[in-house]
Amino acid sequence: SKHPDPLHTLREVEILDAKTREKLCFLDKVEPHATIAEIKNLFTKTHPQWYPARQSLRLDPKGKSLKDEDVLQKLPVGTTATLYFRDLGAQISWVTVFLTEYAGPLFIYLLFYFRVPFIYGHKYDFTSSRHTVVHLACICHSFHYVKRLLETLFVHRFSHGTMPLRNIFKNCTYYWGFAAWMAYYINHPLYTPPTYGAQQVKLALAIFVICQLGNFSIHMALRDLRPAGSKTRKIPYPTKNPFTWLFLLVSCPNYTYEVGSWIGFAIMTQCLPVALFSLVGFTQMTIWAKGKHRSYLKEFRDYPPLRMPIIPFLL
Amino acid sequence: TGEWHKPGRRRIVPSSVVLTSFQVMSRVFLIWAVTHSVKEVQSEDSVLLFVIAWTITEIIRYSFYTFSLLNHLPYLIKWARYTLFIVLYPMGVSGELLTIYAALPFVRQAGLYSISLPNKYNFSFDYHAFLILIMISYIPIFPQLYFHMIHQRRKILSHTEEHKKFE
Repeated sequence: SKHPDPLHTLREVEILDAKTREKLCFLDKVEPHATIAEIKNLFTKTHPQWYPARQSLRLDPKGKSLKDEDVLQKLPVGTTATLYFRDLGAQISWVTVFLTEYAGPLFIYLLFYFRVPFIYGHKYDFTSSRHTVVHLACICHSFHYVKRLLETLFVHRFSHGTMPLRNIFKNCTYYWGFAAWMAYYINHPLYTPPTYGAQQVKLALAIFVICQLGNFSIHMALRDLRPAGSKTRKIPYPTKNPFTWLFLLVSCPNYTYEVGSWIGFAIMTQCLPVALFSLVGFTQMTIWAKGKHRSYLKEFRDYPPLRMPIIPFLL
Repeated sequence: TGEWHKPGRRRIVPSSVVLTSFQVMSRVFLIWAVTHSVKEVQSEDSVLLFVIAWTITEIIRYSFYTFSLLNHLPYLIKWARYTLFIVLYPMGVSGELLTIYAALPFVRQAGLYSISLPNKYNFSFDYHAFLILIMISYIPIFPQLYFHMIHQRRKILSHTEEHKKFE
């Protein structure tokens, strides 16, 4: 008689609701090397309203979510695995969110730039500013968001596929709201150009361009760190590109350059709402950078000790 | 978006930091940015209305916290805290709204706390419009706070009733 091979014994998986402990699904004859992703797909068949992206499966009702790549037989479960399910709510893809939140400011700013009716007084409809800096600002702002859209489509490699649906409303309100607020003043008929004139504008433009190039360089370096389709994480290091040398001092130089770009834009336009937008963005990016820095430190023993999260030596 | 976990904060009473900060800010705003800044409203009856409402609320609330911390909370105090708000909240809100409304014409006339274009910071602020927005914000916010307290009342006062049955 054949001895049953423990590695190839088919498993059973029962899925319970994490809150009510109600039995939602029972799967039998599951391959031991099946992944959580495959189990999620099987679960969707019996509960089609819970597509895989909104499923959180865990070993403990209050524990951490299991990853899609986790393999059933590697988990601390017997031949019958009990998994707890939590509904993450409606999900939306990161790409969709990014495209929507960036396309808005691009379009909205132009409405103010071209002085579309009902924004300023009727005598200003479709008129053009006589200040060079206003035209320059439009080019910079538009370039910034076109760059972001192209990066979303062609450069970024997202580790998560989706985020909760309510985020798109929150994020769009933030981006679109601030874009309208800044654009209103910069393109206003009563706009006052910078105090130090062309000198100030040239310096600010230089800061802006350098930081945009820097930010792009970091995005490319991060992309090259991760092969297509994978979700691996590695320590980023400086490359031949001098803009990436900021990695020596900072964990998230992309955020550093982003703050720099907006400071440049604020100096260029000498507009308080732009400065406030930069401040709010800086606050949020600092929170993200600190989080990222902490995960790097946790994951990699040999993480370079000189690096700070976002501002060299300081923050 | 990855949100970095906030470090723990020290708690002496179990109230929500967010809700309480909100209430403190709104009161500071009413006192400094409205009543103090617009002297003409200081003789309005609406000021008396919200001052009385706040005062009674706070006397009861802090008695509640003090007795709770001493582990000797008379039922009367608990009852008062979760019942009198039914009248005191609307009273306070009415006083606040009427005061802001009374301040509006004076704010507009004096251009109080307002800045207009052109200026070198390319910024403008209309305090009159801002105050109107604040008044409008009471519409979504007040019912939420009020029904939250009603919900708390049901939970906490019925819980005590059940305990009393087993004594």
